[in-house]
Amino acid sequence: MKRAVPVVALSIVGLIAVWRYEPSAAPADSTAGPAPAASTPSGSSGSSSATVVKGTTVTTDKGPVQVEASFEGGRITAVRMLQQPDHPQTRAAVPKLVAQTLKAQSADVDTVTGATITSDAYRTSLQAAIDAKGA
Amino acid sequence: MGFPVSLRVDDADVPERAADAVFAWLREVDERFSPFRPGSEVACHGRGELARHELSEDLVEVLDLCEHYRRATGGAFDVRPPGRGFDPCAVVKGWAVQRGAQLLRAAGARRFCLNAGGDVVVSGGPWRVGVRHPEHADMLCTTLELTDGAVATSARYERGDHIVDGRTGRPATALLSVTVTAATLTEADPIATAAFAMGPEGIDWAASQPGCEVFAVLPGGRVLRSEGFPVGEGVPRAA
Repeated sequence: MKRAVPVVALSIVGLIAVWRYEPSAAPADSTAGPAPAASTPSGSSGSSSATVVKGTTVTTDKGPVQVEASFEGGRITAVRMLQQPDHPQTRAAVPKLVAQTLKAQSADVDTVTGATITSDAYRTSLQAAIDAKGA
Repeated sequence: MGFPVSLRVDDADVPERAADAVFAWLREVDERFSPFRPGSEVACHGRGELARHELSEDLVEVLDLCEHYRRATGGAFDVRPPGRGFDPCAVVKGWAVQRGAQLLRAAGARRFCLNAGGDVVVSGGPWRVGVRHPEHADMLCTTLELTDGAVATSARYERGDHIVDGRTGRPATALLSVTVTAATLTEADPIATAAFAMGPEGIDWAASQPGCEVFAVLPGGRVLRSEGFPVGEGVPRAA
């Protein structure tokens, strides 16, 4: 979650716009069963359980912001930025790196990643040993 | 391209022909996209014999990916580096192997591990993936645990100085190896190559790509990894 701080903050701005829509869309008499997806402000995806809702565009002092939220039941499963200002605060933060020293180890693994190897080098590789065990 | 491909599928109900289809697809990619085959679409395009509107949809998709990473790296990742021919292998490989994994999923495979010359796509894990030690071919320098996703490594210990910094046209030599995890190999493979081409600044760059984690080995035995890199438990090998 490298963009956690700015993106979460902006997402909330957008989601407020989404939530604002809810009361007006909800019927006064709720005995009619679950509200259809069509009552959401701007369309929904075709899938059976997930609903995708676009928020309205909110103008902030950094520029326009718009988010799209995916719901499954009453739960938000994803939030995506549709519009975000081209401003340093919305660009990726520099991720934190951890320094350590190189160690050589042998461990029981299912497969090995490495630079692309030739068929010749493969014959003596760890991956070949793993493959031989599984064959 | 000529690299070994290992495939393990644990689902009992997936027919063998699903695996055959993956290998057939990878052979087809080699025929069509190898810059080393004079008659391939890539070789023809590299010689200027095929204009963009004459290209297959697949090659257009590959070229768009190449351009995306060229821009994203300020030109360090370039499939047409100065003084060298058109070689999109760094994008083609990950893209093709990822599509192979999608063929497996479409055939019903849920738990599998596909390793194409050191680039890995896994599904339905946990899977324990070892990262080859850059200086000792028979050792690992870390292990990681992946459930669904991809991991790729770029280094020069296998094929020498083959990764070129597109900004200078010179071989990239500032890192010993870069390993990148991502949701797909379409991302992990070019991002690992691009980070390697960029040098030390590529480590930060790779770590800031959406959904990516990085493990980089620098000369002198220093390791820099992103905080979220999924380091495994490192179960000692059974004797």
